[in-house]
Amino acid sequence: MGCRDIRESISACVDGEASPGEAAAVREHLASCERCRVLERQMRAVGAGVRQVRGSVPDRFREEVFARLESEGALPKRKKVDSTTWRWVAVPLAAAAALGFFLLTPREGIRGPESPGPATARIETSSPPAPSPQGNGSALSAEDREMLAMLDLLEDPEAFDATDDAERMELLAPGNPADSPNPPRGGRSGV
Amino acid sequence: MLLFREGSREAFEELFSRHHRAVVRFAWRMTGDPSAAEEAAQEIFLRIARAAPTYHPTAKFTTWMYTVARRTTLNYLRDTKEDGEKVPILSAGEAEDGVFPVQLPGPDDRNPEQVVWEAQLTERFRRALGELPEGHRAAFVLNRGDGLSYEEVAQVLGVTVQAVKTRIFRAREMLLSRLSKDLSA
Repeated sequence: MGCRDIRESISACVDGEASPGEAAAVREHLASCERCRVLERQMRAVGAGVRQVRGSVPDRFREEVFARLESEGALPKRKKVDSTTWRWVAVPLAAAAALGFFLLTPREGIRGPESPGPATARIETSSPPAPSPQGNGSALSAEDREMLAMLDLLEDPEAFDATDDAERMELLAPGNPADSPNPPRGGRSGV
Repeated sequence: MLLFREGSREAFEELFSRHHRAVVRFAWRMTGDPSAAEEAAQEIFLRIARAAPTYHPTAKFTTWMYTVARRTTLNYLRDTKEDGEKVPILSAGEAEDGVFPVQLPGPDDRNPEQVVWEAQLTERFRRALGELPEGHRAAFVLNRGDGLSYEEVAQVLGVTVQAVKTRIFRAREMLLSRLSKDLSA
């Protein structure tokens, strides 16, 4: 095989892409051709050259790419905690706080008659009980009634959500207040 | 990519972290200009994100990514009036007997891949690379620069493996013709 005919195979050999038969033919030719041996070395050198052209990642490249993606809605927003999730976090926390408050607060109204407390306390406990539809109001202090009211509220999530605070909660990143509080999950828009 | 298609922003962030350097490098080698490379690289990621809903893993992700990258840079080059055929396939510098007029390295020379590519030579190489026809440049850059096999390059360019082999050989011929003095210095 002549030099002109084998040069393409030499290039493939340099890239490790020659077939076994092609590689054998190249080896045989190079063994007897000084000019093609030189050419083979130059082909390797020019292949290495392309890796020297590297460029560099521009400053703020990531920020600019993500800003463009977000501006055209091609990137899902960071996940927000929606009202349902917030409710499942908030309700147990509030219940635990209420229970702790209940247990740690002195309940003079319950201890009532046995309590050797000050006269003012006795006067309170001796006063007529507040009207109660359940008929147990006489055993509860004002704090107890407040606690029960809180527990009633917690048992009624609709009332809890009525404050609308949960709707505005966002866990990871501030968002546009105009954004929907319940973005569609797993979907992208505007693509 | 599949996770991103299903709506995971974190999946795209991971994808970006893994591949943005390669994309910028490819765009730089194809355009030869830093600002053009940045613009093209941004556009590549935009196209990847836009294409996510219809992405199907029929090939390696990187093969698909380089397909998007090559088409994007090709469109960019067309927009900037590159005609893709600036250099004749057989250069005027090629001698009649098919051997390039290059000062031959002696037998004791270093491994040619260890040639010190100083800044000036790299700049000449970058210019010579930019003078290659786009199809030849893409094949050569994808194979030698990004490590894609001939078969992967063929998938990216939508041509046969034999065509890739020929393009890479022609690219080498043209680069050697332009850089022979530098390589022999």
